[in-house]
Amino acid sequence: MQELLDNMTREALAALKEVRTETELQAITQQYLGKNGELTAVLKGLGGLDPEARKTTGQAANQVKLILQTEIEAKKIELSNNAPVLDHQYDLTLPGIKPPTGGLHPITQMCYDLNDAFLSLGFVLFAEDEISSELFAFDHLNFPPDHPARESMDTYWLAGTADKTGGSRLCLRPHLTGASVRYLKANGAPARFVYPGRVYRNEATDARHERAFFQYEALIVERDFPFASGRLLIDTILEKVFGHKVKTRMRAGFFPFVEPGFEIDMECQVCGGVGCRVCKNVGWIEVMPGGTPHPNVLRAAGLNPREWSGFYINIGLDRLVMMRYGVDDVRLFHSGDLRFLSQFS
Amino acid sequence: MKISLQWISDYVDLSDLTPEEIAYELTMRTVEVEDVHKQEQAYDKIVVGLIRELRPHPNADKLRVAVVDVGSEEEATIVCGGSNLYEGQRVAVALPGSYVKWHGEGEPVEIRSTKLRGVASAGMICASGELGLEELFPAASEAEIIDLKDFDQPAGTPLAQALQLNDVILEIDNKSLTNRPDLWGHYGIARELAAIFKRELKPLSGFKLDPALRDNAAALPITIEAPHRCSRYAGLIFSGVDSRPAPFWLQARLHAAGMSPHNCLIDITNYVMLATGNPTHGFDRRFVEDEIIVKEARPGETLELLDETFLELTTEDLVICDAVEPMALAGIKGGKKDSLHDDTTELVLEVATFDALSVRQTAQRFNVRTEASSRFEKALDTQRVDQAIALACDLIFAHFPQAKLLGFSDAVAATTEVVTVEVGIEDLTGSLGQKVSTGEVKALLAGLGFGISGTSVLTVTAPSWRSTGDIEEFCDIVEEVARLIGYENFDFIPPRVTLERAVKQDHFALERRIREYLAFRCGFREIFTYPWVADDLIEAAGIAEDGMLSLEQPPAPDQARLRSSLVPGLLGNARANLRYVDDLRVFELAQVFCAGQEVVSDPAEKLPRQELNLAAVIVDRSDRGVEIFRELKGVLEELPRYTGAEPFCFSSVQKPGWADDAVWLNLTTAAGDIIGHLGLVSRRAMNFANIKRVQMAVCELDLSKLLPLPSRDNVYRPLPHYPLVAEDFAIVIDETVSWEQISAIVAPMVRDLYFVEEYRGSQVPAGKKSLLFHVLLGSDQATLSTEQIAGKRAAIIKQLNKHLGAELRQ
Repeated sequence: MQELLDNMTREALAALKEVRTETELQAITQQYLGKNGELTAVLKGLGGLDPEARKTTGQAANQVKLILQTEIEAKKIELSNNAPVLDHQYDLTLPGIKPPTGGLHPITQMCYDLNDAFLSLGFVLFAEDEISSELFAFDHLNFPPDHPARESMDTYWLAGTADKTGGSRLCLRPHLTGASVRYLKANGAPARFVYPGRVYRNEATDARHERAFFQYEALIVERDFPFASGRLLIDTILEKVFGHKVKTRMRAGFFPFVEPGFEIDMECQVCGGVGCRVCKNVGWIEVMPGGTPHPNVLRAAGLNPREWSGFYINIGLDRLVMMRYGVDDVRLFHSGDLRFLSQFS
Repeated sequence: MKISLQWISDYVDLSDLTPEEIAYELTMRTVEVEDVHKQEQAYDKIVVGLIRELRPHPNADKLRVAVVDVGSEEEATIVCGGSNLYEGQRVAVALPGSYVKWHGEGEPVEIRSTKLRGVASAGMICASGELGLEELFPAASEAEIIDLKDFDQPAGTPLAQALQLNDVILEIDNKSLTNRPDLWGHYGIARELAAIFKRELKPLSGFKLDPALRDNAAALPITIEAPHRCSRYAGLIFSGVDSRPAPFWLQARLHAAGMSPHNCLIDITNYVMLATGNPTHGFDRRFVEDEIIVKEARPGETLELLDETFLELTTEDLVICDAVEPMALAGIKGGKKDSLHDDTTELVLEVATFDALSVRQTAQRFNVRTEASSRFEKALDTQRVDQAIALACDLIFAHFPQAKLLGFSDAVAATTEVVTVEVGIEDLTGSLGQKVSTGEVKALLAGLGFGISGTSVLTVTAPSWRSTGDIEEFCDIVEEVARLIGYENFDFIPPRVTLERAVKQDHFALERRIREYLAFRCGFREIFTYPWVADDLIEAAGIAEDGMLSLEQPPAPDQARLRSSLVPGLLGNARANLRYVDDLRVFELAQVFCAGQEVVSDPAEKLPRQELNLAAVIVDRSDRGVEIFRELKGVLEELPRYTGAEPFCFSSVQKPGWADDAVWLNLTTAAGDIIGHLGLVSRRAMNFANIKRVQMAVCELDLSKLLPLPSRDNVYRPLPHYPLVAEDFAIVIDETVSWEQISAIVAPMVRDLYFVEEYRGSQVPAGKKSLLFHVLLGSDQATLSTEQIAGKRAAIIKQLNKHLGAELRQ
């Protein structure tokens, strides 16, 4: 009997060693320890043995049982540790499951990028209502009374107010600059603020012209502010947009609300300034106007132009975004077309 | 505006500079030069040819074969259809490799040696249209070629050289000239260039009027009846003139500056304008009855302009009249009858200063924009009239040897007063950010015609041509000095600022967090739509129309009204996007408008009510049910928590116009104010908006009423000491019972309560619904025992049964 048990143990342990799967392990467990298993049979047969043999065989059989149970348990853990998660092949090239696919409008993204930059310089944000008046959109900004921009072919006047003047003649603001006087009237100087927003022009639209578009304007008002210091505002914007320092130049430009006024050009980013089709071979691209607030604007804001000066810059956000991504049609920004917007997640 | 550098060279010597250098400095310091056009580029390989021999073409009646000396060793054989060819004629020959406009139209094409009807032809004898020279060489018919009989140049001379078409033309952006009336003539640009390059500016004309002729009122009385619209009007009478053509050089200058030559008299009036910037006009003396009156037209008067436009005048129009009737629309265009004719022998030359606004308004009313009106609109000085008169006299006497000045009247209502500005040299240094000396400033400004006196405080006197609104105060002088020094010569000076306190702007921060919450946490896409909304979408959204504002000149007739809600725009957006997708989530943050009398910055200004709204929409296929309503409700429920806003609650007070009758809620503040709505879009709204096969859940709220929390208000709860037990309840209850009622009973009895789902169906009796919820139970004293859990379950069921008639589902 002992020999039988020894053989059984040897065979069982040898078989266990070869086991590779859970099923094989179960089969072996059944074979020895199952209801009709070989060891079970030995244990069941103990009753028919004489007491002496029953004791020694019983002890030996239980010993074997213990060994087999321990080994089977060990094998089970081993199999579990080595078991793959899947019992089939997994296609690792399947696409990942996407998180929610929302996103901010590319103009909002650009605007927030610029806000972050200016807020880090201690600027504050300001927002003006989109409907303004001739008083703030033109009169306060030193636009002469007969300036063509005041006419209906340029500015969207509100029905019923077009024949009025000043604070009673209302319009969708044609630019952001009116907001500067609102802020300065309320907060005084010194002041450092940005006031991004949407502006409106009554004009025919095409791939480069829109009736509604976004501007980003910044104004700093300080005592003794030489115009050359205005480069801070210019560089802040362009470095944020392009991610590196951009060469710029300031040249003569005329806008009623600044004096001196500038057109600000940046080095063409396509050709690096040597001249190409994009910059019409001059190496420079006009990006924004700027300049020192005109004394009449400061006066309108209740500030003494002998005491205060500063610097404005105003940049078209739509055009910046178009440059950043190579967008070729400005009308896409107001299209609400998800096929377009989803490209800017 | 086109500026001829040859013309400029009459006034200032820039011969050592390239056109590009001139254009660059002008762009940097004065006005933007958009293009530098070299005339001769268009005439490359086009030469003077001398026709030695003409033979008939063997195969074509209308063509002839010309043997032409083109200056090379071999004569060229050229087939030509010209109607006016003759042997010994000098012609313009386009040699192979040159470019001409085919039949005078379209883009230039290259000329090649070719065979025409079997005869080889090495070039082309050109008609004026083929070279863009129809103005200088008017052709009687299309077949007429240019006859160079007046140009005694050897064969082979480049055409550009023979015709002096080797000018360089600067194309200047008119927009950058609007504030500089002095730059609307060549002399003004020359003065600018002389100052920039520190050169001498030559006088425009040395002509001196005979003082005896001055104010010869008997010859031509002039009256200015509207002195606020015309400050000076000079009239000069010349005899001995006729309609001969102007010399070629003068025609070529007009051509270079973009104007067409007519005859010598007309060309001189235009030349004077292009040189001085002051428009002039010629009348035929025969038609000027007795006198000249500058006045506002009488109602009912009419005027036929030179281009045969017929005007019905009003008192708003300033006209030049004789004793009988209007002769010209002042400062804009002459009348047909009284202006110069081919048989004119006596000229009345007008040189005047008209008011800018007056000219602009009349030009606009009749939609007549001319070279003259665009100059007067910029505001000219009265002194320039003298310059124009002198130059005109010079030219008339030079080109009409018989001419006599019979009389000269000069009515002056006002003289342009020169502007004086006090400039402290210290202030100037402060504004420039670098030191300048009095001597430097004097030298720079003198070049532009400014007078300067004083040492530490300078008295700067602007020239008259800068005194019509351009130069007014200190900052204008800063600009003049800075641009003459050159903006690129100022170094960046880092601004110095005072640090006071950190920027804390809760409303802007909240607005940004809301956008980011919706975009990044809730999967919405931000869109922008126009503030003007289409009538059909307003109708679809059931928006109340009273109080809506509209535009005087809308982008389209059906888009006159400005939005008072963002919902119509979202409906329009969904409709458009549903062509490509069948579900979407978008939101928009924008202002909405409504009539009002708000004072925001100034009591003199009354603005409408303008609020910043947020609207969002979830669109999904209708076969997926209406869970989108709860999804959107969830977005709103979590919004205050995630964005740091004061919480709001849901109530049912006022149904929004676009919502389904049963599925909508208001958002209300703790004080009970409605700040927004949430609902399923009604079938009616979707039918009107033509949106099919989807369900839409929409919300809109007034962000100005959503208050930012000053700081985070999360509350810490200690973690449970003993494990919590999760239990599910499936109950059957009347349809009329709301979750809110169930929650009111269960929530106080448990640690946490979660709604799982509702169910209606065959296993649930009619009028009832089955409801599954999930609770967490626990105790601070010990782990709950099975008995305790069973007890709590029983208590919950008992309370639900007692108050709401709920039964545990079997």
